[in-house]
Order: sequence, then structure tokens, then C-alpha cells
Amino acid sequence: MDSTEIEGKTIDEAIEKACAEFKVPREKLHIEIINDGSSGFLGLGSKKAKIKASIMSIDMAMDTPAKQIQKAVQKKPSVPADAAPASKMKDATDETIAIRAKKILEGILLRMNLDCPVTIEETPDMISLNIKGDGSGLLIGKRGQNLDAIQYIVNKAISKYADNRKMIVVDTEEYRKRREDSLLALAAKLAEKVKKSKKALTVGHMNAHDRRIIHLALQNDESLTTKSRGEGEFRKIVIMPVKKGGDWKTP
Amino acid sequence: MKELIKYIAQSLVDNPDLVGVSEVLGEQTSVIELRVAKEDLGKVIGKQGRTAKAMRTILSAASTKLRKRAVLEIIE
Repeated sequence: MDSTEIEGKTIDEAIEKACAEFKVPREKLHIEIINDGSSGFLGLGSKKAKIKASIMSIDMAMDTPAKQIQKAVQKKPSVPADAAPASKMKDATDETIAIRAKKILEGILLRMNLDCPVTIEETPDMISLNIKGDGSGLLIGKRGQNLDAIQYIVNKAISKYADNRKMIVVDTEEYRKRREDSLLALAAKLAEKVKKSKKALTVGHMNAHDRRIIHLALQNDESLTTKSRGEGEFRKIVIMPVKKGGDWKTP
Repeated sequence: MKELIKYIAQSLVDNPDLVGVSEVLGEQTSVIELRVAKEDLGKVIGKQGRTAKAMRTILSAASTKLRKRAVLEIIE
């Protein structure tokens, strides 16, 4: 009986690799888990999962107590009572989503004749794909429209595969960061203006992400409220002062 | 260019085998015709044409690099 030790980011990935290695379906492999592996904190200090795989021969299956096989199979979706390993499982599926997203993005870039490397960064609520651009601004486009279009397509393509709760953000040359900074500055400026004049202000059309930044920037300001009004392309953000004592409603 | 649209469309639809793309070349402008299975039509157009718009944006970005123009037509 020949067995091979296989490493992977997660146990599932290692098992998949093992299946490919032996060219047999998962049911025909005897898998022993050597190391559970962990994704670490935000991808830092991650340990690889290690398994020992061998082809399950018929007499071996008879020899091995059924319990042991069952154990090996059960070990895969290990969701014990404590929360930490459960979140690890969730990370594992997100990992493959991130890799899939990266592949789709690279596929698009390749066919746009842009040979740019992509790096993945993950936080608990989003997957960031960073394209190392050539600095031409072609990827960004006017007001980031090219970048937004690519991001939209990647999100769409991923949601077809899996029920993905994380937002996938496509960025290049720190564009998102720069945009966010300028929006925060704009929000602060407008907030001052509204406070001074005590009148509601409307800000011209922005996409959902941009509006969100403004909403979040001003949500902690108790003297102001923000709302979005209008539909689709024409959706605008309204910043208005909160009237003391009364319930001030939108006009 | 053709490959780009084909790749994007295939990553969006349920029946990637039924995605057909043809290109009508012109002097300056080329027209890219996209055909998908009937039930996938909505997927490549999207809500309020958002997906179609995103595809057109990407297409125009890619074609500016080649100093050309390309138009995407989705054929029913």
C-alpha cells in the first residue's frame, strides 16, 4: 500500500489534490489527517493542512475497522462546538472563492492584453484583489468606471458559483484608497457647510460604494443625518441637520 | 477582443457551451456580436442593463489600448 503525504491550504484542498494525484474519486481514498492546518489571523501565521492519502483497496477496507474510515471521513467537515474551528471552515471556503475570483480577474486582464499580476488580500468582510498596474490609468478609467465594471463582472461571476457574502473589491494603484480619502474630505467639507447653514444639501450622483463611504463617514455625527434619494443612476445623497427635540422628516 | 467578451460571457452564464461570439471587422469600428442561450440572456444583460454596460465599458477600455473602437451587440 503506497501512501503519500500531501499538503494544502485547507484539508479540503489537500484532499482534492490527493484525488488528482491518484486519479480516483474521493471515496476510494483512505485519508489520514496529520495536521489540521489553520488559516491564522488574516492570513498571517497560517499553517498548511497535511494529510496522508492512499488508495483504499478492497481487502484493506475490510481490514480497517469501519469506525476508523468513518473517523477519517468525519474529520473533514469538522465543526465542533467551539467557535474558532467553525470560523476556520468558513475561511476555507472563502479562500477558494478568493482564488476563483483571482483566476477570473486574471482571465479578463489577459484578454484585455494587460499582463498585470494580481495579489489577494482578505479581511473578515471582504476580498481585495489588487492589480499591479502599469500606471497608464486605463484600468481605472474615467471616475473609476473601468475598475468598477471589472469589479462588477467579477462579483457577478463569483456569485454564480457560490453563495458569497463577502464583497470582492478590485483595486489598482491604490485608486480606491485615494478615492476614499477624497470622499472623506468632501464629506467633512459638506458636513461643515450643513452645520453652518442648517439646511439640507444634496450631493450629485455617485455609485453605491461612494455613497456608502459618505454615509459611514457621517453616521457618527449626531447633528447630521444622511439619506439617499432617487433611483438608479440618479440616486443622490442628502445630508441634513437634525433638529433638536423634534422629529425632522425629509421634505 | 472577441476572446475577452467570450470569456466574460462564459463566466456569467449557466450554459457556457452555448456562448457564441462573432466579430464584424470594420475600418475603425468592429462590431462584436454575442449570442447566448435564451435563458441566459438576462444574465448577460443584467438588472437595468448593468451587466451589459459593464461589459461594454471593459470592451471599450480594451479597445482603446489597440486604438480601435468596438461595439457590443447582444443578439436575441
